[in-house]
Amino acid sequence: MFKRNKTVCDHPQLKQRSVIGRFTVVSTVLVLFSIAFVGLFIAGVHGDIGVFEWVREVAVLRAVYRFIYELRALPLLIIGLPFLGSVAMLWFGRNSCNGRDSIVIAMTSLTILLTVFTYPHALEGGFAYSIPGVFGLGLSFNVDMLGFTMLMVTSVIWFLVMVYAHEYMKKEFNCNRFFFFMGITYGAVLGTIVAGDLLTLFLFFEIMTFASYILVIHGQKEDSYHAGYSYIFMGIIGGFAILVAMLLLYFTVGDLAFDSAIAALSQHGSARYWIIGLLIFGFGIKAGMAPVHVWLPRAHPVAPTPASALLSGIMIKLGAYGILRIAVSYYFPPVGTDGGDALWLTSQTIGSAVIWIGIVTMAIGVFLALQQANIKRMLAYHSISQMGYIVMGIGVAMYLGHIGAMGYAGAIYHIINHALFKSLLFMVAGVVFYHTGESDMYKLGGLWRKLPLTATVCLIASLGIAGIPLFNGFISKTILHHGIVEAYQYGHPTFFYAELIFIVISAGTVASFIKLFYYVFLRKMPARYRRITPEYNNLDTAMAMMALIIVYIGLNPRFVLDTFIIPQFDTLAYSADFVQTYVVGLTFFTAADLWLMLGIVVFGFIIFIGGKRWHLFHLKLPYWMSVEYFVFYPMNWIIKNACRLMYGDECKYNDETITKLRLKDNKDIGFLDRFKIMATVFNTRFEKRIIRSDAFIYTVFVTGVLLMMLVMRLV
Amino acid sequence: MIAQLPIVSMVMLLGMALIIPLFKRRNFSVTTSLGFVVLLAVWVLTLLVLWHVRVEGPMTYRFGNYEAFLGIELYIDLFAVLFVFFILSLIMVIYVYSTGDATEGVAEKEYGRYYILLFILLFAMLGIIYTNDLFNTYVFMEILSITTVSIISIKRKKENYTASFRYVMLNEIGSLSYLFGVALLYMVTGYTNIGLVAESIGQHWTAYPANATTAIGFMVVGVGIKSAVFPFHVWLPDAHSTAPSSSSAILSAIVVKVYILIMIKVLFRVFGLSVLDVIPVSTLLIAVAATGMIMGSMFAMAQTDIKRMLGYSSVAQVGYIVMGIGLISVLGLQAALFHVVSHALMKAALFLSVGAIIYKKKIRKVSEFNGMGFEMPVAMVVFTIAALGMIGVPMTTGFISKLNLGLAALDGGQAVLVFVLIVSGFLNALYYLPIIINAFLKDNPSQIRVMRVEKIPKTMLGPLVVLGALIVYFGLFPGVLIRVLEAVAASLL
Repeated sequence: MFKRNKTVCDHPQLKQRSVIGRFTVVSTVLVLFSIAFVGLFIAGVHGDIGVFEWVREVAVLRAVYRFIYELRALPLLIIGLPFLGSVAMLWFGRNSCNGRDSIVIAMTSLTILLTVFTYPHALEGGFAYSIPGVFGLGLSFNVDMLGFTMLMVTSVIWFLVMVYAHEYMKKEFNCNRFFFFMGITYGAVLGTIVAGDLLTLFLFFEIMTFASYILVIHGQKEDSYHAGYSYIFMGIIGGFAILVAMLLLYFTVGDLAFDSAIAALSQHGSARYWIIGLLIFGFGIKAGMAPVHVWLPRAHPVAPTPASALLSGIMIKLGAYGILRIAVSYYFPPVGTDGGDALWLTSQTIGSAVIWIGIVTMAIGVFLALQQANIKRMLAYHSISQMGYIVMGIGVAMYLGHIGAMGYAGAIYHIINHALFKSLLFMVAGVVFYHTGESDMYKLGGLWRKLPLTATVCLIASLGIAGIPLFNGFISKTILHHGIVEAYQYGHPTFFYAELIFIVISAGTVASFIKLFYYVFLRKMPARYRRITPEYNNLDTAMAMMALIIVYIGLNPRFVLDTFIIPQFDTLAYSADFVQTYVVGLTFFTAADLWLMLGIVVFGFIIFIGGKRWHLFHLKLPYWMSVEYFVFYPMNWIIKNACRLMYGDECKYNDETITKLRLKDNKDIGFLDRFKIMATVFNTRFEKRIIRSDAFIYTVFVTGVLLMMLVMRLV
Repeated sequence: MIAQLPIVSMVMLLGMALIIPLFKRRNFSVTTSLGFVVLLAVWVLTLLVLWHVRVEGPMTYRFGNYEAFLGIELYIDLFAVLFVFFILSLIMVIYVYSTGDATEGVAEKEYGRYYILLFILLFAMLGIIYTNDLFNTYVFMEILSITTVSIISIKRKKENYTASFRYVMLNEIGSLSYLFGVALLYMVTGYTNIGLVAESIGQHWTAYPANATTAIGFMVVGVGIKSAVFPFHVWLPDAHSTAPSSSSAILSAIVVKVYILIMIKVLFRVFGLSVLDVIPVSTLLIAVAATGMIMGSMFAMAQTDIKRMLGYSSVAQVGYIVMGIGLISVLGLQAALFHVVSHALMKAALFLSVGAIIYKKKIRKVSEFNGMGFEMPVAMVVFTIAALGMIGVPMTTGFISKLNLGLAALDGGQAVLVFVLIVSGFLNALYYLPIIINAFLKDNPSQIRVMRVEKIPKTMLGPLVVLGALIVYFGLFPGVLIRVLEAVAASLL
């Protein structure tokens, strides 16, 4: 079982190996094999290369292929594998660190292989499987192209991060617990993706919230508990919002499967806005959408690096995935029908709000990211900002109705890209911390000499996130930019300002990553880091692989578009002509886009130089501008005065717990704590009294009831 | 023949209570095993009756073959048998636990008394559920509340006496209110037999609106006091927290529910929809329930003693059930009945797991639970499952309850109640989650650091595991239960 505070792994960082470890070699080979397999399979299904002809000739392979292909329970198998793996891992990991990690890596690589086998089905439109009876309504699973895309991204990145985690977690305690809950979270993430109805999605979403909580507070320090507190309670609020929406939806539509429900919803006045509003709120909390992003910059930095890479890389995407899924299924007209304007109306109204939410999220994220010194915190704020891009894309996809395909493509593409480069950036931050024990970028410097590979991949990821041509971020940002331009061309002219903000924010992102790279890898190296000796291990394997994928996508933008995104439009209600002309016919690297990007880069440099010169990166925003303060101030004020309300002037402020109510700073004591203290005050004041006045309550109540009934009866 | 089985099982329980003193000289395990055999026999009989009723439909049993308006009648329908069966099953689990718990805090020579009381308690509950007579219900209610008081005061401590005194006073008021209501009904109809009263009321109540209204008010309030509906909850936290853990579980999980079943009987069997549509009981119940759901949790949040906290949590949960009843629809009633079952399982699991911790570690303060997950993993895991159920996390019965109640509220056009449900669930999270987090993730410096199964008697460990498994099982596959309860709810309305 779990041994606490005692790591099972020995601490190999003390002895430096000169040769590459066996585990590293094996896992590197496995990584290369897995990626090659995915590539070959997809190419084979496309018919680009004749792999399948070769498979068909070997009887054994053919039998294996047919068996897996015809396995209806494949989605369930994909979800079940991580859960089984977690249990197996506990068993094998009792004594040996390597044994456990072998199971973890084998499990994740096997998931990739299984995922790949859903591709032919997904391409044909879906792969449904259901278990009736669970929860009374039954669970159902469905892998369509959207699901397959998310599965592919998740499984590949999870695999690479697990390879990375093997090495990284050697320096942490309680590894068994960490990997166990990592496995549970993985299963839940996969379940969320392959869910075929809202109930199933909700189930796995909740499991994910609770399982990943353990990952967030893994450090078990005061600030991890603090961050975990925000994480779990906001997660629960989000879960409840989704639950209410689910109830409303089931009540109005009578079915939770991901099918078009807009015709039924349109007949129910405001319920449709409540449903989508609550769902966007609920999923938006997980997606780090403003103004409910407050948990994110706290939780992501305190988690161990593999966990924060996955939190930022995959888990927040599931929030976006949830919004996208409900938007395109419930709120879009059925596939193949035009639907007319009436059915698109709801989606358009919501879409315009979502676009602005996305823009605000982007702006808040970048602005706060520029002010951060802690690398992981800065990356967390960038996650918020990049989620803003995605949310904006989803907004465009909804706002433009049947011509919103560009926004949709951009959102999906950016989900893929951001998952790649943000995980990679967190991994880089982890490696820097692994070698130096420091995560304040102003105290680092010159590390490119000591960690050349890390510096290279960091550069690649930075170029990716900044949207430089030939790297992946450029592609998705271009598509998103096309989307927002279309929003003001075909929609409302005010979205012109949205586009402007979009450009400024892109420049801010460039500046932010120039800053990161400059402070961490360039500059003069502080003397205490001179003794770092790099070695090749799993950390580098995972990062290098991730960087290769980024470069590959950057150089072959059509690959992701053709393989993953364009087939999705078959199951969506978008106008086929529009998709054909604009999305399929999209040309990258046009002069206009390149010039725009050049402008953004120059602007970014200006921001960076100006910021460094005038010390704009150390601005401390006045506290009243923070969202927590802003949102909770009125409530906090009421709670602060609750004691006075209840006790009058005799309020026992000198009592130790109650004193905390008076604190002004939200960071020291959050809203929920205050609320709890208020409940205590209330309790000490009234509980005994209520108990003693039992007869009085009875008399008053009975008289009241009888009077009320008689009056209402007689009137 | 089958119709006699309920009365036979009641007599068996009463007989068991009476023969316990005969075994005074023997080893105590003789008593407990004999008791278990009796319980098992009654359980099997009830299972037979349940099967029979499910196939053949309801039946009546008359004492001494007197006519209904003179004599006492047992009405054995699906509603009654199902809940008797459920209560017996749960009691069996708790009974096994209580033999290991050794009724903590009770003097050794009083063990026998505890079991005597337990069997009389069970007898009274069966009587309440089976009987088809309003006055007879009152008699059983009195037996039940006096037995309950004795169980609460079985530990001879000052706070137990205060708690039981408060309990007995308030419950007496409740019983008398109920009796007053029965008297008023008798005045109108001339019967106390539920079937006959209902028939007569349906025809004549418009001639005596004041009587009927007052009667309904008194009866609902009377039963409400006994089932700890919000403003009358004042006796509950003290009573439930001072009683021995296994009896706290029985009191909170079962006894309170029995009174709710009476409320359901009174509202739907006696008065029926035609009356309820006119008299605004629904509004009243929903208002009271909604307040209770929030306030119960608010009080629970501030408690330092874990058993008091669980007691207040029961107040909130009773609110859920009353809300379902107050919606006056098949969906609402079905959700309420489901929550009766679900809350009984969860609260029993909570009280028993906390009881195990109190038994082993002698701590009751919420703040002392740091690191408890490593010292008593089984108890804490069961606690966690049940507490997550209280919050309404999927895969527990609590989630299904929330789902059903929410749908019923929407169906009744009361969308606000969904909001209240959610807020209440969140408040539950606010006081249950920190305990779980502290227990599993925080250190207590004076502790062993390796997790291993705690050394408490197997008879305590087993019931805990069973309850935890049941919560998850019914959380995953509620289908059968929901269908049966739907049939029950439809038969009541």
